[in-house]
Amino acid sequence: MIKLLLVTPARDSFAGWASAVERRDEVELFWAQSGGKALDMVADTLVDLVVTDEFLGDMTGLELAERMLSVNPMINCAAVSTLSSKQFHEASEGLGLLAQLAAVPDKEQAEELLQRLIDLKKRVAYVQSP
Amino acid sequence: MENGRIAIPSQGNGGLDGQRSGHFGHCDVFTLVDVEGGEIKKTTMVPNQEHDQGGCMVPVNLLAKHKVTALIVGGIGKRPLMGFNQVGIDVYHDAARVEIRPVVEDLIAGELPLIEEDQVCGGGK
Repeated sequence: MIKLLLVTPARDSFAGWASAVERRDEVELFWAQSGGKALDMVADTLVDLVVTDEFLGDMTGLELAERMLSVNPMINCAAVSTLSSKQFHEASEGLGLLAQLAAVPDKEQAEELLQRLIDLKKRVAYVQSP
Repeated sequence: MENGRIAIPSQGNGGLDGQRSGHFGHCDVFTLVDVEGGEIKKTTMVPNQEHDQGGCMVPVNLLAKHKVTALIVGGIGKRPLMGFNQVGIDVYHDAARVEIRPVVEDLIAGELPLIEEDQVCGGGK
């Protein structure tokens, strides 16, 4: 089972994305409406991927990605960002983000992201379940 | 260091007399140096694996699988550093020298510092 945590105060923006991932039998989708709630959840639940909105009310998505490293660096993260790809690369360098997502991520981005996550999980299986 | 296995991100074919790679995630090979009783016993080379966006844990996985206990880097991102910490691999820092042998000898002699969190790459710093 793949556990995904969607972090956004505007869940409707992710409706298309969420319906695409929820269609997959192997995916369990959780939702947190703020960065603080997401940090609480990842401390208690083993999540495979966090997908964060750009702004979360209490912090930015990139701040959440950085703060999650102290909780569990094995958790993968993808972030919505309106920065150019070069600016995003600079702003997120070292955080190891899986992808930059469009402001309103769609079904195609969901499928592509899931496939990348599945491929990556196979390559890091030793440290994720030693 | 009395006993352990040291990994050094390396250029080309690696080896004790080879040169270090500046970016650990994109190095050609990892030179692995086995230390017993404070002496170098064996050197082996492990090819690096493909490193895509978000693949920071791939080298962590690779080196943990090879039972590495210490890593020497010139630079590293925050996520892989936290990953190495989580799997019990100590990360040491030397950003000045390109030769492998002197940094390995310094680590064994206890003269190489652990990397500090404010020395990680990225985040626009």
